[in-house]
Amino acid sequence: MNIALAQIATRLGDVEANVGLHLDVLEKARKKKAGLVVFPELGLTGYTLKDLVEDVALDPANDPRFRRIVAATKGLSAVVGFVEESPAEKGLFYNAAAFIHDGRVVHVHRKVFLPTNGMFEEAKFFAQGREFRTFTAPWGRVGLLICRDFLHYGASYVHYASGADMIVCISAAPGRGVEGGDAFATSRMWELMGEAMSVFSTAFVVYANRAGLEDGVTFGGGSFVFAPGGRLVARAAYLDPEVVVCPVDLSDVREARRKLLLKRDEKPEAIWRSLERIVRAAED
Amino acid sequence: MLPKINAAFVEKVLVRFIRDELGRCGCDTAILGLSGGLDSAVCAALAARALGPRNVLGLIMPYGKAFPQDVRDAGEAARRLGIRRETIDIAPQIDAFFAAHPTTDRVRRGNKMARERMSVLYDRSAGEGGLVLGTSNKTELLIGYGTIYGDMACAVNPVGDLYKTQVRQLAAHLRVPAAIRAKAPTAGLWPGQTDEGEIGLSYEKLDEILYGLVEGRMNRKALVAAGHQPAAVDRVLRKVRGSEFKRHLPPIAKLSPRSVGHDFLYPYDWSK
Repeated sequence: MNIALAQIATRLGDVEANVGLHLDVLEKARKKKAGLVVFPELGLTGYTLKDLVEDVALDPANDPRFRRIVAATKGLSAVVGFVEESPAEKGLFYNAAAFIHDGRVVHVHRKVFLPTNGMFEEAKFFAQGREFRTFTAPWGRVGLLICRDFLHYGASYVHYASGADMIVCISAAPGRGVEGGDAFATSRMWELMGEAMSVFSTAFVVYANRAGLEDGVTFGGGSFVFAPGGRLVARAAYLDPEVVVCPVDLSDVREARRKLLLKRDEKPEAIWRSLERIVRAAED
Repeated sequence: MLPKINAAFVEKVLVRFIRDELGRCGCDTAILGLSGGLDSAVCAALAARALGPRNVLGLIMPYGKAFPQDVRDAGEAARRLGIRRETIDIAPQIDAFFAAHPTTDRVRRGNKMARERMSVLYDRSAGEGGLVLGTSNKTELLIGYGTIYGDMACAVNPVGDLYKTQVRQLAAHLRVPAAIRAKAPTAGLWPGQTDEGEIGLSYEKLDEILYGLVEGRMNRKALVAAGHQPAAVDRVLRKVRGSEFKRHLPPIAKLSPRSVGHDFLYPYDWSK
């Protein structure tokens, strides 16, 4: 299968324009025989929304603009970032990622960890997601994460424990730290964690970040795919928009788990018992 | 010691920033005041790279015949970059004002001149359909070493997150003329004024204390324990605290449920 890392520069607050951008990239990725196209966090809306959140929110089941994207996934899968407001929870706005396959929304993940400190103010404007859940794509089991979710490694563990072959993280990560090489220090942090997680989980780790700027903040780009065990498959440019299409061999998961028996020897029940004890103690 | 910046990477980021911010506004021209000092020379070089030299207008705004060497250096920097430049003497309007409202306070006179230059820049930016580039660096912003609504006023500021000593590194990378890089930094409010003389610390020392305070989140005790002179630390802390008002829009008295400046919150780049 080919994975397309759709490292786009989103237009802030302009859903129409961003839908157009998504449709263009989907079309190009299809021509390059991509089986999975991964767009960044809040790719349909831009990141620094503040009070714009409610203006750009949409219901993925009924919004005609979203349906155009869903319709454009015939024969392939896509992960799309957007602001979700569902009819069941009116007035609650989630930073969400939809996994779409072949014209159908398969799963929606709502960001659990909303960074709200320093330059980040997500919990001021978004409702908090409550769980991590894997789902089955035709080509394997997938777990979705949104940006900061990935930095809380328990989130990846849950996907791993529930059998994910691939952890997909979509991101709008602001670049910070200019003392090092040809990228922000934060870009290297993401790569390090992606590499490590692909070893811990013996799964694919797909990370799609944004490019472009908002309010003086530069999104660092540098989207990547790690194969199970820490092999870098592809990395997109730092800073600038780029769509990278790379081939992955999904049987690498089996290969990795045959050689490094972490998954076989995993004991989620021991972790669960320990966590239960810790959480209970905290509640007492 | 402050870690060295990767100047080539910083250039890439700042060039994209200038291009992006002007592009959003549908502008292709940047306007800035050229003082003959380091910060404005660096900003001019970045803007020339981002937009092409002909899309950058450098205004040299001396007060009469004061600071002739700075005027020459500013002109030379502009010539080497190939940007457009223009000299506007602000003495007539400054002299007219102080003839009617005399003062011997050189800070008031200097601030008035800084605000006059701002006024000229904004007027010209409207005429050119351009944006005013700010040139205040992080050191100045943190200690409030600038005239509020004067040289601190701008549409966008590419160098406000670089300490003075980091601006020097970037200047060397951008090949800013050696004459500009070598001279003592000055706000140019009066002849003989130097930043370091007025602040009472070298930029190296000042930046190290600020870096510890801001990036290292160190308090007074930790800064002194790290080897900084207690008196120097206190002076810097006083300056940072005393200038917080220069880093904000002024507070608005809150009356309604949703007020500008409090909870009517939109991105700066909204619908640009």
